Amino acid sequence: MINQRRIAIYGKGGIGKSSTASNVAAACAEEGYKVMIIGCDPKSDSSITLLGGKRIPTILDLLRQGRKIKEEDIVFHGYRNVRCVEVGGPEPGIGCAGRGIIVAIKTLRDMCREMDEMDLIIYDVPGDIVCGGFVAPIRKGLVNEAYVLTSGEYMPLYAANNICKGLRQIDTRLSGVICNSRNVTREEEIVRKFAEEIGSKLVAFIPKEQIVQDCERDGFSVIEKAPDSNIAQVYRELARAIMSNADSTLPQSLDDERLRELTR
Amino acid sequence: MAANDISIIHPRPSSIVAALYTLRDLNVDVAILHGPPGCSFKHARLLEEDGIHVVTTALDENGFVFGGRKELSSALRKVNEMFHPQLIGVVGTCASMIIGEELHEPVMDANLDVPVIEVEVHAGYANNTKGVLLTLESALDVGVIDREEFERQKILLEKATEVEKLHGAASREYLAPSRGDLKYKVAQRIIELLQEGKRGVVIMNAKKETAYMFADITVAVHEVASMLGVSANVVNMANLDESLGLPRVRDHARNIMRDLKEKGVQIHEITGGLDEYPVAGDVVDKLLLRKYADYDFAVITGVPHAIPMDHLKNMEIISVTNGPRQVLPLKEMGHKHVVVEIDLHPKTLGVNHIVESELGATLRQMLKETLY
Repeated sequence: MINQRRIAIYGKGGIGKSSTASNVAAACAEEGYKVMIIGCDPKSDSSITLLGGKRIPTILDLLRQGRKIKEEDIVFHGYRNVRCVEVGGPEPGIGCAGRGIIVAIKTLRDMCREMDEMDLIIYDVPGDIVCGGFVAPIRKGLVNEAYVLTSGEYMPLYAANNICKGLRQIDTRLSGVICNSRNVTREEEIVRKFAEEIGSKLVAFIPKEQIVQDCERDGFSVIEKAPDSNIAQVYRELARAIMSNADSTLPQSLDDERLRELTR
Repeated sequence: MAANDISIIHPRPSSIVAALYTLRDLNVDVAILHGPPGCSFKHARLLEEDGIHVVTTALDENGFVFGGRKELSSALRKVNEMFHPQLIGVVGTCASMIIGEELHEPVMDANLDVPVIEVEVHAGYANNTKGVLLTLESALDVGVIDREEFERQKILLEKATEVEKLHGAASREYLAPSRGDLKYKVAQRIIELLQEGKRGVVIMNAKKETAYMFADITVAVHEVASMLGVSANVVNMANLDESLGLPRVRDHARNIMRDLKEKGVQIHEITGGLDEYPVAGDVVDKLLLRKYADYDFAVITGVPHAIPMDHLKNMEIISVTNGPRQVLPLKEMGHKHVVVEIDLHPKTLGVNHIVESELGATLRQMLKETLY
């Protein structure tokens, strides 16, 4: 518990947070760490590639049924024993997904004994922090490290920059920037520069490779389905970087003009 | 709603209000409601009568959309300047909790030199005792109460919830409010019983400050029995242990015992502290069995439904409640007469002496008419 890493990966929607989270989880589990992944997106697909493509019942599904929830009802063991939890949410357009996260996280914290034993807990949070509920994991002291995922394109960088503004507002430190490549010119250079200028560092450059999508389509992480691929190795290195990272800073967001200059 | 619970449709006590009352019992000087201006208005006003300041961050539509971190931290600073409190409570509301407001950050922002009890509570709990529990947990964190008192309170709360589900206002899906039996008829019956030389037990099993008025019924019955020369036929039980509960609650017990003594009323059996109404019933039950099983009637005030019927069955029961929804459940338990002291609670806030009850006043007036 003392050395437990509890991280959240933020970034623009669709940039690859769930892929990165599940591959990092799988790679860390391979190294022998006890890992849990908590999907906080109402779409509830964070852990799907760790469970061979199967969906698991979400905390909010069970709460809706009014059942007394036990740990084994919501914590499922996936690839290499990675514990998988999905928060879930209401039907789109009904109720309040933000409140859902607050309630689900509280339920989990109150009853999940296994959480204390983990070396790494990854909160896979939705791309857009649309309301107070979506920062509940951080606000409730459950997350102690944040990473930002971006490509070298303007819009994902704009979102990353906004997230940094938000992190500063809620007094949460940034442990690094991860670049998930979209094959943009000078991409690594742009993202590295961005990371430095906000006072952080680039911890990994993940090249764009079709094999990631192919494995996901079959319901697996590349670590499991294509363990010898180059990209699997990249995820393993990222996993090691995360597990040994000791630096973090309160990020200083850039003004929009500087951000545009960077991507030009 | 959990599948195994009934769906109660009559209005229920609020957990937010329960949190406010608990903060008062913990002797906070100011309670700040973080939410819309009208939330819990009526009880906030009553609590002001009881000597604590209650203010609100008055969140409006913009507050719901943009959050109220600044509003709360500035309210904290403001009350600190205005009232110089020793202890502050901050209480959530439905609106602020649904939008995910944090209470801790604004408290940090305000950076006051005063301990703050933060209660993240809304009114959407099946049992309002949840509001008490959340407040006590936070008070424990801040060091306002110790672990031992916390555990004691927790057991009492569980028992209180149980009592309400069994025979209280949470016992069925809908209970209509009722004013109960006519007070003059019930008063007349009590006088009759005493005139006939019947022996009775007067059991006060009251919740905290409500005892200021329920104790008046003990006094009134004593006055009637004395005037009729049968005071030896009446035994008084009351949960007035001065050494149990939070400091404020002990003060109430002391104040009432002092008044009773001045009025020459003896309490023969102390059944527990003023916060022990959910468990004092068992003490009463044992006493009845051991010493008073053959008494003819019982006058039970406060939370009468918390007294087991086992050793009351053969007695004529007159019970006095302040809950209009309690009449039917009490009748069903076998209480022959049920009297409601309507609006009792507001009259017992901000007082430190026994307050006259309607039944007490009726008894006194009818006694006069009987004697002269």
